[in-house]
Amino acid sequence: MNIFTQKKQCLSLIVSLSAILLSGCNSGSSDKKTVIEYPDYTYVEKLGDEATAINASHSGHGFSTPMPTLSAEELEIHLAGDANFETAFTTAPNSEHPELDGVGPVFNNQDCNSCHQRDGRPSTITVPEGQDRILLDSAAGIFLRMSIDDGNCSTPSIENNYCKNKGVPDFGEQLFHRGVLKARADWQELPFVGQANVYLAYEYSTVNYADGNSVELKKPVFTIERPYDVTAENQLNSAILQADVRYSPRNGMPVFGLGLLELIAEADILALADENDVDSDGISGRPNWVFDAIKARDNDPLPVSLGRFGWKANTPSVRVQSLGALRGDMGITNPLFPDESIANTAMHESYLTRTGFIDTGVDENDEPEASQVFSDEVVFYAETLAVPARRNINDKTVVAGAVLFEQINCTSCHHPDFVTLAGNVQLGGVDAPEALKGQHIYPFTDMLLHDLGTGLADNRRDFTATGNEWKTRPLWGIGLTKTVNPAAGFLHDGRADNIEEAILWHGGEALQSKNDFMALEQAERQSLIDFVMSL
Amino acid sequence: MLLKKTLIALTVSALFLSGCGSSSSDDNTTVEETGFTFDATELITNLTNDVIVTGYDTLNDKANAFFIATQTLVNTPTEANLLIAQNAWKAAREPWEQGESHIFGPVDSLSIDPHLDSWPLNTSDLQSLLDGTSTFSADFIALLNDDVQGFHTMEFLLFGDGVDDNEKLIADMSEREREYLSATAEVFYGYTQDLYNAWVSSDDAYQDKLLTVDNDIYTSQLAVVEELINGMIGIIDEVGTGKIADPFGADIDSINTSKVESQYSWNSLTDFTDNIKGVQNVYRGEFENATDKTGIIDFVSAADATLASRVDDEIAAAITAIIAIASEDELPFRQAISDTDGRVRIQTAIDALATLQASLENDVLTLLNDWKV
Repeated sequence: MNIFTQKKQCLSLIVSLSAILLSGCNSGSSDKKTVIEYPDYTYVEKLGDEATAINASHSGHGFSTPMPTLSAEELEIHLAGDANFETAFTTAPNSEHPELDGVGPVFNNQDCNSCHQRDGRPSTITVPEGQDRILLDSAAGIFLRMSIDDGNCSTPSIENNYCKNKGVPDFGEQLFHRGVLKARADWQELPFVGQANVYLAYEYSTVNYADGNSVELKKPVFTIERPYDVTAENQLNSAILQADVRYSPRNGMPVFGLGLLELIAEADILALADENDVDSDGISGRPNWVFDAIKARDNDPLPVSLGRFGWKANTPSVRVQSLGALRGDMGITNPLFPDESIANTAMHESYLTRTGFIDTGVDENDEPEASQVFSDEVVFYAETLAVPARRNINDKTVVAGAVLFEQINCTSCHHPDFVTLAGNVQLGGVDAPEALKGQHIYPFTDMLLHDLGTGLADNRRDFTATGNEWKTRPLWGIGLTKTVNPAAGFLHDGRADNIEEAILWHGGEALQSKNDFMALEQAERQSLIDFVMSL
Repeated sequence: MLLKKTLIALTVSALFLSGCGSSSSDDNTTVEETGFTFDATELITNLTNDVIVTGYDTLNDKANAFFIATQTLVNTPTEANLLIAQNAWKAAREPWEQGESHIFGPVDSLSIDPHLDSWPLNTSDLQSLLDGTSTFSADFIALLNDDVQGFHTMEFLLFGDGVDDNEKLIADMSEREREYLSATAEVFYGYTQDLYNAWVSSDDAYQDKLLTVDNDIYTSQLAVVEELINGMIGIIDEVGTGKIADPFGADIDSINTSKVESQYSWNSLTDFTDNIKGVQNVYRGEFENATDKTGIIDFVSAADATLASRVDDEIAAAITAIIAIASEDELPFRQAISDTDGRVRIQTAIDALATLQASLENDVLTLLNDWKV
């Protein structure tokens, strides 16, 4: 279907409302006229433009196909990166697989895929019947960030360490709840446990609509036990259980279309910012300004960039995000992050001494555990996964939902479209693939931070983002989330089981939109959800 | 409430206009009818119930039999009981490998795949555990990392390192190895039970997602068929460009036996064969030598009978080529990659898989665009 032709047809029509109710295009008198403006995105199918997946957008493969416009050489790199993405690392030393050892010694998971299942969201962990909580293990695609509360930070500079968060002494900024067998001195009692055990439970609440319908919401509650720095009897004295430590749960998120998001012009994103809500629409939108490890590597005097990725936009590029996760989440050092995540902590020193210095973060050639080639391939993979196409775009409820989506102002934050940069542009410090350039994309995000209220707040700042702020999630592909992983949840900690629950968690700047959503008739609410599910 | 009324009016208009736009377009455009029709209901029902669910049921039965065999081995550690346990391991391997042609749903979302089939082993930590003093119970094993449990950990314990042979003797198997094996087999059986239950028994049984489309996972029959075809492509690609090609290397100087799947038991070629037999099961709609039922072949045939037959032949040719790698010398894959004639036969299998993959990607998957659902 020619979407542009259809859109013009619709826009040009002036219809009689009474005629509509009587049903029939040409019947009835014209006593009341309404001009319907269909948003530009209403009938757009290829949300990634030419970087949209082909013949995979209805099934669980929707997030896992390479962009169809990659060159043969690029496709080869992408496929190598695909294999790397699923590579599970093991404890060093592993004489059979020296190229795959070096995991940890503490980590959150052993391969990328475990937190980005089939390149999408991880399973939300459920608490088994008869239990009131569950220990996070290898099946968990979620972890806790942590830092010492030191107030907000608005302007990164060398004096304030570029607004970096202040890590917990002898722990760091991420709680690594898993480890290799002997990660801890008490490994005989706690084998494969990392810095501490983390347990997950849920609190439940109910939201009631005016029409009598209701929805039960759940919110995860995390408990930390057996931190490594103190004895079991002395847990409350642990550095990570002090009152000034702030935690933020972080779920894995989909990894398709990321290169396109990185090629959105910074000026286009900043043009959408309205930090002081000058237009008084209740929506502000702020950029996060974050430390950029690539600029630091290249000796930039101000190694700070616009944050684009992560739940709080706390990383500037796919390269920093991916290689940071490789080193942090998995404990695999690499050329951009050559030091172990727990280097210079008491745990690492103890581990090295106890095990005879078998995992110092370098391989047998004194190089990082992941090579430059391996690292480049995995970054390229995450940059060049295609965006799934939409489904059911001609369904009447979906079309109606597209209109509602704009009417209740979802688009103020979930900004529909951008055109990616073209010409001689770089991506994470290297030349960008042609497949990503000049594409008219529909990610439905403004790439900015918004205060989403206390219900979602983690109360932990992240660079310049406050404890109430989150980056607007891209909505492209979101309707395939459960097709890709039936147990996946939405939002930063996977608490929402479906789109409706996710909407109901919105507050702060999005409160009015949520209230407007709740004021709709049930069929209209479903229509809006159907539209989101078509993305 | 003003907002509400406005929204209702616009919504109704939107619904109406959508219809008008479409019909207007139809009035003015001559559209040539293309495509084909096919009712996929029977295909989906059959593949869901009689291939996927039946396959997981078989896996669960084999896992149970294997667990029992390991218990027997613990209680009566004889050469004969070790052989029975080894064969029971291979028997459980067959439905698992065939099921890799449809790796979607609970096998992923419940992390069953990494629990059961993680590779490579963490031999360093495994040895430390065996050398330690922990009591090996199912509860203990379940909390361990995936790389010290599952198929390949049990394979290592049952068959040894596989370098020179795959015939471990009971005298070479310690009591703690047997205890670790049996506890791991019990956990393994628990996971296969979970997998089967997730498809058939839970309130939200996954089989219903396929059988009754228009749900939060599959919005149409097209989505299910797309899933099934892409599933076949996925395992063909993995076998051809990963499982076989990675250890095979670009030339004989770049082989890597450490990347050979099931290298301890020398079951590699059986694994690869079962992978493609799994493709054949989905394509034909029935297990080998079973009564003819509806499969993807019938969908393809509705559009292009010649293509349907060609792809069926290509699947059979790929299976034949993989089996032929061993030759009459009965070379295991880990040896064949370093054998000059073996490498020729391996290349033939890689080529057969590439041909099959290209047909599915270029000719079969694209039929979805022409299918008038």
